[in-house]
Amino acid sequence: MSGPRNAEDRLARLLVMLPWLMEVGEVPLAEVAARYDLTEAQVQTDLELVAMCGLPPFVDEMIDVFVDDGLVFVGVPRLFTRALRLTAPEGFSLLASARAAMELPGADPEGPLGRGLAKLARALSEVGLDTNVGSKDDNAGVAIELDRPLATDDLAEAATNGWEMAVTYYSPARDERTERSIVPRHVFVDGGNWYVVADDDRSGEQRTFRIDRIDTMTATGRTVPSADVVSTPAAFFDDADLPVAVLRLAPAAHWLLDRYPIRNQVALSEPAGWIEASLPVASSRWLARLLIRLGPDVEVVSPGDAAAEAAELASAVLARY
Amino acid sequence: MSARRVDRVERLTNLLALLLETSRPVTMVEIVGALVGQYPDGERNQRAAFERDKAALRDLGVPIEAKSELGQGSPGRYWIDRRAYELADLELDGDERRALQVAVAAVRTGTSAGRDAMWKLGGSAIGEVGTVSAVMPDRPELPVVRAAVAGRSRISFGYRSERRHIEPWGLLLRGGFWYVIGFDCDRNAQRTFRIDRFDGTLDNVDVGPPGAFERPSAFDPRNAFPADPKQIGHSAADGAVAVVRIDATRAAAIEREVGVDRVIQRHSDGSIDVEVAASNFDAFRSWVLGLLDHAVVVGPPDVREAIVGWLSAAAAGSSE
Repeated sequence: MSGPRNAEDRLARLLVMLPWLMEVGEVPLAEVAARYDLTEAQVQTDLELVAMCGLPPFVDEMIDVFVDDGLVFVGVPRLFTRALRLTAPEGFSLLASARAAMELPGADPEGPLGRGLAKLARALSEVGLDTNVGSKDDNAGVAIELDRPLATDDLAEAATNGWEMAVTYYSPARDERTERSIVPRHVFVDGGNWYVVADDDRSGEQRTFRIDRIDTMTATGRTVPSADVVSTPAAFFDDADLPVAVLRLAPAAHWLLDRYPIRNQVALSEPAGWIEASLPVASSRWLARLLIRLGPDVEVVSPGDAAAEAAELASAVLARY
Repeated sequence: MSARRVDRVERLTNLLALLLETSRPVTMVEIVGALVGQYPDGERNQRAAFERDKAALRDLGVPIEAKSELGQGSPGRYWIDRRAYELADLELDGDERRALQVAVAAVRTGTSAGRDAMWKLGGSAIGEVGTVSAVMPDRPELPVVRAAVAGRSRISFGYRSERRHIEPWGLLLRGGFWYVIGFDCDRNAQRTFRIDRFDGTLDNVDVGPPGAFERPSAFDPRNAFPADPKQIGHSAADGAVAVVRIDATRAAAIEREVGVDRVIQRHSDGSIDVEVAASNFDAFRSWVLGLLDHAVVVGPPDVREAIVGWLSAAAAGSSE
């Protein structure tokens, strides 16, 4: 956590930190800082502050805590021994994350996550955040679907073990199938699509592939361990180096705004209801394909040659009829 | 009163402790008296500072109760019900807490609410992200709509510039979007809404009193609308089906997408014929054109003609 912290954030962090400290009694300052995403100085400042708190007529010394030589010591617990109840957004977020994790490859409904989820749902139910727990209708009105292509589980297993896989991959940017050897490092779902981040022998780089575009896959028998922890790329398809197209979209084409990483969008007064948007374009062929799909619901502002390329591509498709 | 400089965290902590510990509801004057030197001088200033503190604690989720005695002008009294304040003991075993923590680390939601929840449950911010993760869209409306689903409260919201009133039956995350499914009181029928398409901000969502309706028994959001997006907006009974020939380059992928039971013919060149729902024609057209020259609509004739017409217009586009 960086930058100035306001009183509310500091108090919120203290209220989760204190019950835990009272349970463990004595712990290195560095561990507290790491656990609560603070610097050691921030932890020390705030703990020394609460140690000063007190209400003479009611309570003399509220919290018996002190920091010495890099260690935090907590004495007899009195106040704030229990954390504050979950707020509605916290309860929702935790439950939704746990339900989503249950849909990921390798999740075991009988395992610790399933049991923890059941206990959580029951507790939330008691404070009115959830209902119908224990009945047949135990999704409580919230369902999460992360349906995945068949290859996902094998790729996840390959990522865990560092197995190299030979794949054929369809690239829509070039509209061609390629053969490559990849070493999967991380598998994730975003926006309803599943992706694998992998070391790619063709480019010599780490690349992100859409799993539903992998047509065939076999293990090569090689194992390539990775030293790095790989997780979801922050913005994997919004590449700053990509050229940008400016399009005018009719209301029927506004779904585009939800599906692609739009840079800018402006509502137009004429024609009414239309929106002008800029979006990064992976290839001119990809843009031409998009323009054919949108038909009369799109006008190209730039690049200037996009409309001609789309017309040419449409003629090529038409030639098959 | 000596003006000792007091850190606001100290004042908030003391206020919280006082409201938790007091054996009877206390007035603001009593609070200011107990927190010696921590509130400014003058009743107006004290009132303003106290209101700000009260709001800050409530924002953190602290349930501050308030009541005022009969009669105008009598002072309000405040307290915290400890049972409402404290997190119920979930009795999580160590492995269960760790599993929830891994789940929170593996699912990126764009807010810190999941992490904050884990802290309250005794977990840590140190998340070990495994080799599999998920990015889940977050919307500020979700906890509100969810509470309405749980409490059987009607909700109303703006949707495409129109006010809609529904009995929310359930929430569904599908294809990367959150939907609320419920009974539309104006249309008198079941309807599905995308939550990120709600107009305006959270303030634009109104929630009625709880217990306002019954949800159909065994309602499952997953069955509430067709799995095939080409069917959204139409009932499955409309039944228009097109036959599309997919060439060898894309055959394997499309077979996986539509399912092996939709393949009605396999050709020696590796191409296949598949049956695809075309009742939502816009969605069908967008899908089939996205396949470019890897797909050709075989029939029925009216669907094929519509695609040919669309392509002809697109091919003529540059000569306008």
